[in-house]
Amino acid sequence: MAKYFDVSVEDIFNTMEARFRVEGAKGVNAVLAYDISGDGGGKWLVEVRDDSVKVAKTDDLSGFSVKTSADAETFVGVNIGKIDGTQAFMSGKIKIEGDMALVAASAKMFTRYSLPKKSAVTVQGIFDTLVARFQPQNAAGLDISVGYDITGEDGGQWTAVIKDGKCALETGLRDNCAVVNIVKAKDYIDLILGKLDPMVAMGAGRLKLKGDMNVAMQLPKIFAKFEPPKEEEEQELIVIKRNISVDMKYSTGPVMGKFFEGLIEKKILANKCPKCGRMQVPPREVCAECRCWAGDMIEVGPSGTITLIEIIYYSSPDPLTGETRETPYAQVHILLDGIGTEETFWHLLKNEDLADTKKGDRVRPVWSDKRVGSVHDIIHFERIRD
Amino acid sequence: MARRVAVCAVAQTGFVSNMWQKRFQQMCFETVESIVKQTGVDWNEETGIRNIVTCSDDVFDARTISDNGITDAVGAHFRGEEKTAQDGINAIAYAMACIMSGHDDVVLVVGHTKESQTESRNMCSNLAFDPFYCRDLGLDFEKGAALQARAYALKSGISETQLAKAVVNARRNAAKNPLANARELVTVEQVVNSPMLCDPIRALHAYPVSDGAVAMLLAAEDKYKEYTDKPVWLTGWSNCMDSYFFGDRDLASNFSLKKASAAALKMAGVSDAKGAFDVVEINDAYAYQLAMWAEGLGLCDENKGGEWIESGILETGKINPSGGMLAGNPIMLGGLARAAEAVIQLRGEAGERQVAGAKRAVAQGTTGPAGQHQAVMILEN
Amino acid sequence: MKKHKKNRNVAIIGIGQTHHSSHREDVNQPEMIHEAVERALKDAGIGIEDVDALVHGNMELFEMVHQPDLWHVIGTGGYGKACYRVTTGGTTGATIVGVGDNIVASGLHDIVMIIGFEKQQEGHTTGGITNMADPLWARNLQTGALTGATAEKTINEFGADRAKRAAMRLRVTLDKHASLNPHAHRNFGLDYDQIDDLMVNSPQLVGELRLIHMCSQSDGAVAIILACEEKAKKISKKPVWIRDHVTVHREETFNMFGINENQEVTHHNAARKLFGRNGITNPREYFDVFEMYDPSSWWGLDWLREFLQLEGDEHLKMVENDEVSINGSFPLNPSGGVISTNPIGATAALRVAEAALQVRGDAGAHQIPREVKHALASGFGGTFWTVLFMLEKDLDWQEAE
Repeated sequence: MAKYFDVSVEDIFNTMEARFRVEGAKGVNAVLAYDISGDGGGKWLVEVRDDSVKVAKTDDLSGFSVKTSADAETFVGVNIGKIDGTQAFMSGKIKIEGDMALVAASAKMFTRYSLPKKSAVTVQGIFDTLVARFQPQNAAGLDISVGYDITGEDGGQWTAVIKDGKCALETGLRDNCAVVNIVKAKDYIDLILGKLDPMVAMGAGRLKLKGDMNVAMQLPKIFAKFEPPKEEEEQELIVIKRNISVDMKYSTGPVMGKFFEGLIEKKILANKCPKCGRMQVPPREVCAECRCWAGDMIEVGPSGTITLIEIIYYSSPDPLTGETRETPYAQVHILLDGIGTEETFWHLLKNEDLADTKKGDRVRPVWSDKRVGSVHDIIHFERIRD
Repeated sequence: MARRVAVCAVAQTGFVSNMWQKRFQQMCFETVESIVKQTGVDWNEETGIRNIVTCSDDVFDARTISDNGITDAVGAHFRGEEKTAQDGINAIAYAMACIMSGHDDVVLVVGHTKESQTESRNMCSNLAFDPFYCRDLGLDFEKGAALQARAYALKSGISETQLAKAVVNARRNAAKNPLANARELVTVEQVVNSPMLCDPIRALHAYPVSDGAVAMLLAAEDKYKEYTDKPVWLTGWSNCMDSYFFGDRDLASNFSLKKASAAALKMAGVSDAKGAFDVVEINDAYAYQLAMWAEGLGLCDENKGGEWIESGILETGKINPSGGMLAGNPIMLGGLARAAEAVIQLRGEAGERQVAGAKRAVAQGTTGPAGQHQAVMILEN
Repeated sequence: MKKHKKNRNVAIIGIGQTHHSSHREDVNQPEMIHEAVERALKDAGIGIEDVDALVHGNMELFEMVHQPDLWHVIGTGGYGKACYRVTTGGTTGATIVGVGDNIVASGLHDIVMIIGFEKQQEGHTTGGITNMADPLWARNLQTGALTGATAEKTINEFGADRAKRAAMRLRVTLDKHASLNPHAHRNFGLDYDQIDDLMVNSPQLVGELRLIHMCSQSDGAVAIILACEEKAKKISKKPVWIRDHVTVHREETFNMFGINENQEVTHHNAARKLFGRNGITNPREYFDVFEMYDPSSWWGLDWLREFLQLEGDEHLKMVENDEVSINGSFPLNPSGGVISTNPIGATAALRVAEAALQVRGDAGAHQIPREVKHALASGFGGTFWTVLFMLEKDLDWQEAE
């Protein structure tokens, strides 16, 4: 099975049920499909329903709520945090079909895949500290060699030469060893760490001692206990989440105020610069070009011609309500009838008109029944089709 | 040597507690119109205003880029505009630097704040604290002032009566200033009996919620004559920042004000602040600050602020003739309004509250909690 | 416009920037700023005690901290110093360099450090930008800084295929530049053979503005140390001189779209003023490198025309012929630009910083392969606001009459 960053695609899916977080999937009923290409890839369906999850490898991805397609390396990389998901998405390495919001939600539904931890202690590591652990006061008068024949993967052969209150370590086995310990690497690590009892190991034949048993019995005194290196634990950094709100009351003033009063009466009022004649809607107190007060109000529209249509696919939350709009929707800039040529009016387009409306089309406001003097007094503009 | 810089005109809206009938755009526009009327300045890019230094704050305006809404009103359409987000006295100083540097000849300064727009100014100033620790302790600029008032009282022994006299003086002067917000006279008894707002700060010790705007026109020494025959020169300036955590600061030490004051005096060539000024405008948002900042400015000896209040100096009308911050200017505009009053006094245009023969004035501005950032400006005619 | 006479010359003598990323949760705001400050001091070879004044800038509603310089003083080193805070939106970073330039030239302070920062992930960026709109009207309509208007304009003028291809080519070029900049927040490893695919498959945001075209939201900070001529020459072996800067703002714009496209935009206006008063008649010849504030590839493409005062399709040709690549005749954003790294309050200052590094020859892997004597750097913000800087290697320019 092809591995990327030491992880296979299968590893990710096989652990998915175990990584499921009920609290992150509340109210979610969805089928997430994955089409992973390349070596080690395949197709999977992940069904999240009623606080449970079912992961299945399949050939048929139909009926999905959202489908994620990626090559195996990208998929694994993103899942284990080696590749930035947003970057992969933006550069087209990940493609998403269907309800995109579910992809973001899935980050809450599953804990991140983490590699099975490897032991930090190695046989080599144990022997690297052997001389430092030598206790000369417990080896007075000794002149012996102790052999270690550590077999299997990551094993090796060493000889500890003890003489004149000193200890030297050599690789390889000397012929004149007083005793030789023969043990598999994994068992040796467990013995040293105290996870495997030496008597049990000998009884089971997993530890063999060749030579002088008495010397073997003294070894725990001659060498101090091995202390495994402390794993540096990553400090968990706290992030404080807050929602900050301060109530505000905004004056509308005598110019914009008239405009809002007009909306209640289903009228769109512009103000006119007394110097250059430029009209502004919504009106601002001052004409920026002439830097003079512009308080004269003139009714314009309410119909007009679209000068620019902006179709929004990215949903920005309304900063006043925090609510997210459904996409796509369209903002339009409209040259209202009677406004002149300088100033467009900015509002929304009726969703039903989205498909076939373009620059130059005629539109009119759709008024709300409950008008209070706000931007929402006009629900949106609609195409004039007659 | 850099060019000298003159203030050619000032304009202020009146300060009130709720200017509900105007957007801040209109407030700014009115002050700018007044400047135009006084000076005849225009926005010609060769000879007139091509740069504007504004002062306002995003949190108080509840707008990202608060200066964005006033570019039309201040004439920044296809002109330069830079917003100081500190006490507006720093806006004057930066405008001055623009001229001293040679970058501009004429700079317009416009500041605005509507404290009334927010549900609570304390909720806004709470946001000036770090979001993990001090914010959750409930600190805001008022609580910071209360802690400092306590520390200062312990150190200097200032009395309730002395604090009350600061307020009485503010109201007496404000009564003669048609622009001031809190103009009703009060007595020492009323102040010492006013309810506790944030111990030891009483309700009458605190400046009222205020709205307003201030504008000022600055020009280089080779340009001012086109706009005024009564220039007021900016001769001394400095500002200084203290540390952030209250535990790191000696709240009663006037660390940053002393440093700013010394540097400003040096620039103006004044050796001793005592007796050097005909007009003093202290940014006293809370009553204790009149005494404490007076010490920091070097107007009286250390720990003698209370006695200074009772020394008869307040009765001369030279200390905060505008009524001071206690009479009500919005946050951000305290020092800007102080400097504006100094200019009016040095021009001899202060009417009933005019200090006779005023030649040199000092104006102070503060930003942040408990005077963390202090600024001192010296003006002369 | 008439050239002013600078009271004294000002140079950039130290530059420090943080590692930029979408989330710097490993540090808080003052700690992040401190990284940039330390690096700038080290770069200049001075200590914080040598700095006379600080200028701080960002946008308060992005992190919801009121006057954050007060808190940040524990990371800026501003204790006991003169401190200024000036902000102007996206232009902030360039504005504060301008403030530093003016303050040093004025003679008020000899050595000034400017600090631009933003931690975008601590707030909602698009929401924060939307908050700049008038609360009574446009706030209900705006979608942050996202607009497809420039894409539509360019498509209408040059045809869909050519316009989309040029915008995407510029995008790939800047991604390649970003890959050479170890400080850049993101690079995707894009290549020119992906242009056709990305033109169709990168998700749309607004109209033909696609996700891949749009700048990032980053956490990061930059500090730049400025000094007067006398001190700069003493302290720095390679001072970079700020010859001039210009700021052009405009009215709050919620209603200029789709009409009167011949109206001069601020970038064109600013460049015209700056070049005019400094006697620069052919900016494309004069400047060796341009660090432009390019929030999207469509804007970057269009604004080449505005800044360089080009006619017709010259700006498209510059991209199509790879003149704007790091090895081309007019390298644009060798750092990768805003499109790769965008901690907004720092972004415009990073343009000046990167341009200065190019002048010094210290940009490392993204150093352009020939001598840089004259550099241009722009800031963009507010409602189409511009700040434009001219940097020089030598103090030998001829003042325009």
